This record gives sequence, C-alpha cells and structure tokens, in this order.
Amino acid sequence: MLTDVMNSLPMLTLAAADGAKGSGPLIESWAAAPGWVLLIPLLPLLAAVLNVGCAIAGVKTKLPAVITIVSLAAAFVLTALAYLSFSGETRIVTGWSWFDLSWGDGPGQSMKADFGFYIDNLSLLWMLFVTGLATLIATYASEYMEHDVGQGYNRFFFAFALFVFSMSCLVLGDNLLMLYLGWEGVGLCSYLLIGYFYKKPEAVAAAKKAFIVNRIGDLGLAIGVFLTFVHFGTLEYAELFSSEQLAGYIDAVKAGNAGDVPLMAQLIPVFLMIGAFGKSAQFPLYVWLPDAMEGPTPVSALIHAATMVTAGVYLIARFYPVFLVSEWALPVVAWIGAFTAFLAATIGMAQFDIKRIMAYSTVSQLGYMFAGLALLSSTGGVFHVLTHAFFKALLFLCCGAVMHGFAGQLDLRKLSGLWSQPGWRVVSVGMLIGCINLAGVPFTAGYFSKDMILAEAFVTQGPGYGLIGWLLLLTAGMTAYYTFRVFFRVFVGPVRYEPGDDDHGSSDHDHEHDQSDAHGHDGHAHTDHAQHPFHPHPPRLAINGVLATLSVLAVLAAGLYFVTPENKGWVGSMLKDSTAAQVYFDGESDHPTRAGLFLIDGDAHHRDHAHADDHADHGEHAAHGSFLGFDPHKVMYYVSAIVGAIGIGFAAWAHGPRGAVSGFLGDRTEAATSRMDAVARSFGPIPKWAEHKWYVDEFYHFLFRAPLWVLSHIFHAIDKLLVDGLVNLIGYVPRAFGRLAQPGQSGVLHGYALSMAGGVAVILLVVMMVAG
Amino acid sequence: MLIVLLILLPLICAGLIVFNPKGQAKYIATGATLVSVVIGAIALIQFDFSQAALDQMVVKAPWVPALGLELSLAVDSVSLLLIALTVLLGPICVIGSFTAVKHDVKTYYAWLLVLQSAMIGVFAARDLVLFYICFEFTLIPMYILISLYGSANRKKAATKFFLYTFTGSVIALAGFVYVVWFHASLEGNSWTFDLAALGESARMMEPAQQGWILLALLSGFAVKVPLFPVHTWLPLAHTEAPTAGSVILAGVLLKLGTYGIYKFALPYAPEAVVEYAPLIGVLSVVGIVYAGLICWVQTDVKKLVAYSSVSHLGFCVLGLVAINSVGVAGSVMYMISHGFSTGALFLMIGMMYERYHTRSMREVGGLGSTMPVWSSFMVFFVMASVGLPGLNGFVSEIMCLMGTFQSYGWTGEGGAHPGGTLGVLGPWFAFFAGTGMIVAAMYLLIMTGKMVWGKYREPEGHHEHDELPTDLNAREIGLLIPLAAGCLIFGLYPKPLLNAIEAPVNETVAYYEGLVPVPELEAGMTTVANEGDHDTEHGEGDH
Repeated sequence: MLTDVMNSLPMLTLAAADGAKGSGPLIESWAAAPGWVLLIPLLPLLAAVLNVGCAIAGVKTKLPAVITIVSLAAAFVLTALAYLSFSGETRIVTGWSWFDLSWGDGPGQSMKADFGFYIDNLSLLWMLFVTGLATLIATYASEYMEHDVGQGYNRFFFAFALFVFSMSCLVLGDNLLMLYLGWEGVGLCSYLLIGYFYKKPEAVAAAKKAFIVNRIGDLGLAIGVFLTFVHFGTLEYAELFSSEQLAGYIDAVKAGNAGDVPLMAQLIPVFLMIGAFGKSAQFPLYVWLPDAMEGPTPVSALIHAATMVTAGVYLIARFYPVFLVSEWALPVVAWIGAFTAFLAATIGMAQFDIKRIMAYSTVSQLGYMFAGLALLSSTGGVFHVLTHAFFKALLFLCCGAVMHGFAGQLDLRKLSGLWSQPGWRVVSVGMLIGCINLAGVPFTAGYFSKDMILAEAFVTQGPGYGLIGWLLLLTAGMTAYYTFRVFFRVFVGPVRYEPGDDDHGSSDHDHEHDQSDAHGHDGHAHTDHAQHPFHPHPPRLAINGVLATLSVLAVLAAGLYFVTPENKGWVGSMLKDSTAAQVYFDGESDHPTRAGLFLIDGDAHHRDHAHADDHADHGEHAAHGSFLGFDPHKVMYYVSAIVGAIGIGFAAWAHGPRGAVSGFLGDRTEAATSRMDAVARSFGPIPKWAEHKWYVDEFYHFLFRAPLWVLSHIFHAIDKLLVDGLVNLIGYVPRAFGRLAQPGQSGVLHGYALSMAGGVAVILLVVMMVAG
Repeated sequence: MLIVLLILLPLICAGLIVFNPKGQAKYIATGATLVSVVIGAIALIQFDFSQAALDQMVVKAPWVPALGLELSLAVDSVSLLLIALTVLLGPICVIGSFTAVKHDVKTYYAWLLVLQSAMIGVFAARDLVLFYICFEFTLIPMYILISLYGSANRKKAATKFFLYTFTGSVIALAGFVYVVWFHASLEGNSWTFDLAALGESARMMEPAQQGWILLALLSGFAVKVPLFPVHTWLPLAHTEAPTAGSVILAGVLLKLGTYGIYKFALPYAPEAVVEYAPLIGVLSVVGIVYAGLICWVQTDVKKLVAYSSVSHLGFCVLGLVAINSVGVAGSVMYMISHGFSTGALFLMIGMMYERYHTRSMREVGGLGSTMPVWSSFMVFFVMASVGLPGLNGFVSEIMCLMGTFQSYGWTGEGGAHPGGTLGVLGPWFAFFAGTGMIVAAMYLLIMTGKMVWGKYREPEGHHEHDELPTDLNAREIGLLIPLAAGCLIFGLYPKPLLNAIEAPVNETVAYYEGLVPVPELEAGMTTVANEGDHDTEHGEGDH
C-alpha cells in the first residue's frame, strides 16, 4: 500500500484511496519491517556511550577510536545491506513512541512523533555516504588525533560517534521532530568539536558562533514545523506526502492554477529553507562555517564539508513536493544558492589559509547544490552532494595531513613544493584528484555533477534564471582558479616551507598540552627559531590509507553518472522513487514552466502549451531555455570544460611552477609571492576587501550584535532602576507607615502573622455576614 | 494515606531534628527525604493513570464543618507528578547541603523538611483554605533559609522575597474570598471550600466578575512565577539564597505560581482568560526576551541562571494561556522539566561556589581543564536548559511554542487547517517567543564559554577546600546523576508523562470550548484539496 502511495508521488496520481486516512497501516510491524535497520543509528549511539565509559574509566589508549571505527563500519555495512535488500518500497521502522498527545479523534487532533525511521532511496543514499565517510574519517582521525590519547581522545570520539547518530536521526527520521532532533543534535556535536581545542579563545568563539547562527536558522525550521502541523495536521512524512491536501495542491499547480495553493502552504517551504540556510551555511547565515575550521581537521572534513552541511540540501530534497507547490520557494532558493556560490568564491580567491579556502569553497559548492535543486535538477543537486562529499572530504583530509606534518602551517605563502617532498606523494596525488574534481576537469565526478546543474540553469525558466546560469558559470571558473591556486602554490614549485606555530609539539594539538600561558608567545618564538632544522613528519599508514581510498572513491564516483543513463545516473535512479524525484526526465523537448512543473516522461508531450502561457510571469519566451542559441544540455559539457580550463590556466600562469614549463606557465621562485600580486594590485582595494570577507562579520556585528548588546545593558539598567525601583518605592510606603504606627517594631514575621490573622479574620467576617 | 504520609513524615522528622540532642540533623533529614522518595514512588505506582483526570487517593477529614471547611487532600496526575518532582528534589537538596551548611545545622534541615511538607500540601490540597495556608506557609521556611544561610545581601533579599510574594498572595486571597462568597450566594448560603465546586460556580460569573477574579489570582500567582514585570524579587532571592534554597525555589516554588494559574485561573475564569490571554501572552513574550537579554550581560553566574528562570517561565505561562492541549500540556511538562535542568544548574553553581567562593565569571572560569566531571555535567545541563532535542527542555519548549502557534483561528471554511485550534494567540507570539530560543543559546553558551572553556582562572588567594576535592566527589556526582537521567529519559521518552497529563489537560481545555470566537479573516481561505472543481476556485486563492 505504501509502495503505491510513494511510487505514485512523482507520478502525481497521488492515491487518495489508500493510506490517506491515517498512518496506521503504513507503519509496519517489527516482524514485517527490517527491524535491524534501527541498528544503523543505534550503533553509533552505542559507540558514543562506550566512549563516555572510556572517559570515565580514564582509558589512555586508542580504544575509543577502535570502538568508533568498528561501530561505524558496522553501521555502514548495515546501510549497504539495507540498500541492497531494498525493494523500492518505502519502509517505516518505528523504534518507540516519542511525542504522543491527542485531544480528539479527528485528523490533526493529535501531536504524534515517533522515534521512527523512514527508509527510502533518498535517505539510504544519504546514509550510505554518511556512514561510509564517517568510517574512513574516523580511521584517519585515529592517527591524526593520537597526540591527545588519554586526554581529549575520548571526548573527540564521543562527539564524533554522537554526530553520526544525530545525522542518522536527521536523515532517517520519519517525522519533522526527528529531523529537528537530528538537526540540533548535529549542531551540538559541531559545537563540541569546533570547540575541541577549548583553551584557544578563537575555537570557543567559533563554536559559540556556529551554535547561535544555527539557532537562528532553527527558529525558521521550527516555524516551518509549526506551520506544517497546523496546515497539514501531521508531522509524519508518510501522512504528509500522501495527504489529499498536498495532492490537491500538486493537481492545482499542474492544472495551471498555482494561485489556488493557499498562502499557508506556500509559506511552509519559505520557513523550512531558513533552517536549511543556517545548517548549510548559505547567505546570509553562512558566516559560521569558515570560523568552524577551528575544529580538528577530520571534523572539518566530515561535519563541515561532507555531511552535516548537506542537511539543508536533504531537507529540500525531502520536502521537494512542498517546495514545488510554492511559487516563491524555489526561485528564492535558486537565487540565494547562486549568490552564495558566487560570494563565497570571491572570498575564497583572496584567502591564504588553505583550510579557509576549502571552507569557502564548501559554502560555494553548497550554493550549487541548492541552485541545482531549485533549478529543478534534483538529480544534479543530489549528485553534487555525493561527489562533493568525496572530493571535499579528500581535500580537507589532505590539508589536514599538511597541517599535521608542518606543525599547523596552513598559509599557502609559506608552503611550496610538497610534491617533491619524500613521503608526501599520496597526499599530493590525493590533493590533485580533489582539485580536478572541484575545478570540474572533464570526466571527473565533480565535472558531471556540476554540469548537470549548470545545464539546468540555462534550461529552467524562472525569475532571472538566465542570469543565475551565467553567475554559476562564472563561479565555476573562479572555483577552478582558487582550487589550483592552492595546488600550484603548495604542491608544486620550489621546495620551501616554514613550520606553523605548533612547532615543538609538532601538531595542532599543542593547545591540549599544558601550555595555556605559553601559547601566546609560541608563534613568535618559533618563527625566530625557524633557522633550526624543522622536519615535517609525513603521514603514516592510517592517514595515507584513507587518503588513497578516498582518492579512488572520488575518481570512481564519476562512474555513477553512467549507471542507468536513462535516469541521468545512479543518483537519478535512486531519486525517482523518492520525494525528490526529478520532476521531468524528458529534458530534450519540454522544459518546465510553473504550470508544467510536474511533467515527467511521456506526460510532457500531452501538455497543453496554453497553460504555460496563462502564467506569463513564469516564462514568456518559448518554454525552452537556451544557451546562446544552443541546447544547454548538449553544449554545457564543452562550455564548462572550457571555463574550467581558463580558471586552471590562469591559476597556472599566476601561481604556477618553474622548470620545464616555466617559459610557458611563468616562473615562481618564491613561495611567498606570485605573479598574481601584480594583478591583484591592479584591482585596487577589492582583493583586500575580499580577503576580509567583504566585512560581513563586522557588518553583522554592528547591525545586530552591538545594538542587542546595548539593548541588553539598557534592559539591565531599567530592570534595576525602574522596574525594581518602582517596587522598592511602593514597598517603602507601607514600611514608612508601619514605622510611624509601630515604632521600634519591624519584625517581618510578626507582621506576617498579623496579616495572616487579618486574612483569616476577613474570611470569618465574610462567613459570618453571609451565614448570619 | 500516602499523601498524608508524605506531608506528615517530613514534619515529624523536622520535630525529631529539633528535639534530638545528639544533632544528627543531616542524617535524619536524609532519611526522611529518602523515605519520602520511596513513598512517592509507591504513590506513582498505585495511582491509576487510566483515570488521570480524577482526583485519587482522596483523604477527607472534617475540619470546621459549620463553615464547610474540610481537610481535603487528593491528587490528579498533574498534582502527583509535581509532588514527585518535589519529593525527588528533597534528598538532593539535603545531601547537597552537607558541606555547604556549617552553622545552625538543626534549624536548617528542620526548615528544609517543613518546606517540603508545605509544598506537597499545596499540590495535594483540594480545599481552598488548606491550599492557601500551605501556599503562604512556604514563605516562612524559605524566608528563614535565605535570611540565615544566604550570602552577603541575604537579609534584604529575604525581606524582599517575603513582602513581594506575600503582598501578591493577599490580593489573590481577596479573589478567593469573592469566589467563595459568590458560590455561597449562588447555592443559598451553603458554604464550601471545595476546589471543584468553587470552580463550577466561578465559571458562572459574568465576564467582568471573572476579569476581577483573574486579576486578583494573577497578582498572587504571577509574582510567584514570576512574570514580567513583577519578577525583580527573583534574581535577588536566587543570588542570595543558599544552594538548596535556589534549587527548591527554581525547582518547585516558582511552579506554585504556574500551578496556581493552571489549577485556579484557567478553570475559574475562562472567559476572562480568553479576553486577557493576549495581554498575558505579551507579558510572557516580553519577559522571555527581556530577561534573556539581561542574562546576556550578567557577570554573576547565579544571577544569570536566575534571570534565565524568568525567561524560561515565560514559555510556561505562554503555553498556559494558549489554552489548547498542546500548549497546556507543554506548560505542565515545562513545570517538571525546568525543575530538573535549572535545579541542576543551581546545584552545579553551588558546587563551584563551595570551592571558589565567588560567583563572578570574571574571577573564575575555564574549569574544563581542572574540573572535567563538573564541566561535562555543566555542558549537559546547559544543553537541557537551552532546549536541545533529546533532552527534557525541548519537549516542553517546543510544545509550548507549538501550542502558542496553533492557538489562533486557523480553522477556515472547510477545515483547511486540520492542525489548528481556536485561540487568541498565534504565530506572532510563537515567533517572538521563539527568538527567546536564540537568546537562550546566546547567554547559556556564553556562560559555558566562560565557566567551562577557555583558560583556567581562579580568584586571588584561592586555596583548595578542606573537605572537597578539586573536581566533584562521589556524593556530588550521585546528586547529579538522577537529575541528568531525568533530563535524558524525559527527553527521549516523554510519552508516559504526556499520556499521564493528557486527560486532566484536556479537561481544563474543555472549559474553553465555544468561548473563543472564530476570526472573520480566515473565512475566505479554502483548501484546494476539498474542492472538486479547481477552475471555479480560480482567483480566490489567498495571495
């Protein structure tokens, strides 16, 4: 029954007959449903609990890492099993009842939310890469964090495992409150892990900032949840997506009567997306993510690049039907995504800290994912999530290996020629693979996924979507530039390096050791000592193994594009039975306008063009977008390749190596300077502004934080002087009166007893009067 | 009988403490409170939750029959759960005071026990006079605890606490007297002080009369909650009170105010509540944001948590005046969960204070490196307080907000909004109260940032405590574990609690059926789903 309902969703024959009456029959019994699926979230939770045990027992070995890796690997295997045995039929596995309050028997007269898990292709897809990457990165971290064994090691792996649990709840949850639980749960783990080096004030500030900025988004999400409940009367996905109401809205949009969808329903996605923008670091709530790089690098790779930040994309993919019926939701998402992609890329181009560059790159790529979903290329958007997860995790882990080996050095002006260093080959190759993916070099995974989004940007009609296409294309070129800027600077060229601030402890974990006072001086002390030979220590087995594995996976991910080409790759085949189904597959002949949003396959040909024309504001020119007169789907492969090549070429010219190609590519002898400096100077203050992140943080500070801070002090003063002062004044009158009346007696208890007696007397008096 | 036992046992033990020459005060008190916990547990088991809305375990004894006065005790599920909370906090307060209280030990524990009896009496009383006596009587032990065992400014704080809340209660008394008189005049001079009977009569009053009753009751209960702008006694009292005093104050005494609103204001004056709910809602929302922002600039950590209580209890009152099931149930949940998380925060601050003798976050901080156990618990309870899903704070907070959001004339023509209910608050109240969640994250994380993270700071001349280790000892950990477990269990599995309070909450909400007008503005909103022909609807959409 559920199959019918869920399969029919993309097909828009939303059955009003079955399932719509309630969730009762939809929830499978333990016996019928694959109950072991519950182990996927529970295993990481168990690991977290065991790690708490390790902390209590004072374990001073790598045991917590082993516990975490084993349980995450098991969770991954179970996810893979769930995927392999998945019949295409959406399953709901309920752990236990969480919220349950009813005030009537009618629909919407109960607030119910279970600890239940919604197994469909979309959630499985997400869980596959979440658990897989988490296992790999935990392995990496077991070596990366080894300086902290016995100190923060237990704490680190506790939060790490708890993160995977929260993420599982977010992705697998079968209702909005479970999503919210995971949503804030990952926020907590992010908070704990960003603030891992808690003696560093920047880390503490960054952790706090991440949590608070996310809370702003969470308020939007909460209101979205409330609206959904009020409007649809349920919080559970199964009921929501099979509701007659939603089906009615879809029908209305399909029939060209988009205006029939009530305002309330149109507002739901608007509020949900605020939550998505917070968690996925989109403008204007992106400011926390770059600062989050204060956390240990494995955390940056897993949480702040590959998994947690894609939660917003997941939210939109999960609620795709709800977004589609809203007139403004997707255009807003498209514009915000494109603008964020561009803005973050401009900042990324001007940074010198390689981890920050990767952070801004993440913000930028997330913008692509949002734009992809919003431009009706859900397959492209989700595919980009997947490919990005691999290559960005890889890039971060490579940066981490560099940071680990060079005593915390992250400044690309102080590192050069790592390719030629003994022991750094795996890292270099991994970095190269990550870079070509990110830059969109042809036939890489990143190329295919970005391409799908770019093509759709020129095809889909919407408010200013043509401009979005150009903006995204320009950003693709900028991405190629800043990506290879890092590569050329750090990995090729002359062998030069300066160790970072953490020299003698030779890692970024020094803050954990007892030198809370010494830290401030360290930086200076060791640049002075830079003369004494510093030996970078190259990564060992665990880190190299993980980097190699991820490199292979990042390359292989490209192959997914060719699995079931009729669905636009494996991702498309996964999505087509889920809520995030691509709304049309027949991209060649018909393109969606608002009225034709939900057309798929053959249906497209039956569409009456008149409907499209009714809605002039949604696409007055022929319903076919084009790229300079060509079919975007066909030419975008070449266009994006050319744009990427230009970006890489420019990076090579500006930051490239010397040697055989120096005459052609330009010469660079110093690690610290490059040809780019001259170019940058010609732009005047703009590069400086970009380096200072366009002063957005300062702007927010003056616009929000400072006034609030002043207001708080004013409130505090008012509270003391006015609100309390008034009370004191009132309090003074009877006291003065009392002194007058009873000099020498101010015993409060005495007064109380008197009043009490008075009160009783009043009662008695009334009683007498009435009774008498 | 269990309820009587719960009230009498601490009283008897208080007497034992006072008249026992050997001075084993703390052991007697511990024993009394632990036995109370057992009795409370038995009461929970014996209570028939399938009849949760009914008064059970009824004890009635004639008191002054001529006046209709009865010693009437009984519990419904809400009362019982609040009693359970009180009883649970009992041993935590007693054991938590072992090293903190050094002088007049006998008096201290005796009054602590008396306070427990009085609080249980408030929740169990089903006779108005008994209720009022217990309600007022809680002031005396608390006054003594603050004024004898508090810190530097204790006299002023105690006096202010006493006079402020007492003044409010006297006005509430006038309201009660009027209700009693009204009932008597209605029933032909047959006197009763039975709460249920009084409620039935009160609901028959004219709206204007109800308005006065509501005003009178609120002056008593709002001060106790405390609702903005009558909250200023609280930060002072909290800051100066001894740890156990703060725990009880935050954990139970404030709930007397919200319980009073729930038990008296809501059922006695429904028409007035409907009329004044927006006003009370505005005060709650202002309190949430205003107190939250004040928290942000505090340097005294105990004052910060005290103001956070003002902010948090704003959610609780907001849920109550949302007068729908989700809101009121959320509010009742809030009463219980706030006792756990904020009570624990006060307890933890007390443990820190015992070691460093300062509450200033400028002087002490960065305890993560020296007190890892304390710090772990601190982060945990901060997260519970901030409303992290999976912990108790979330359940109640989200329900209060959801109830507030729902409480609006959503139900348009054709039932376009099946999840909406009638009410007089609505999305804007929920939105502005929701900003309180952001503010809460701000001040609580700043507190955590200063107290737990960062570089270790200790006040000048700090030396190790004679009896206490640097980090928490087993006794202290043992106190925190039940609270932490409570936060976790009620966060992950609140269903039993929700099921338990469902019936009485629905009964209270039922008084409001038909009282709330359906707003006109929603009438034009129709659902597409319920219309057969979309074309006829074209253009009528709402935008």
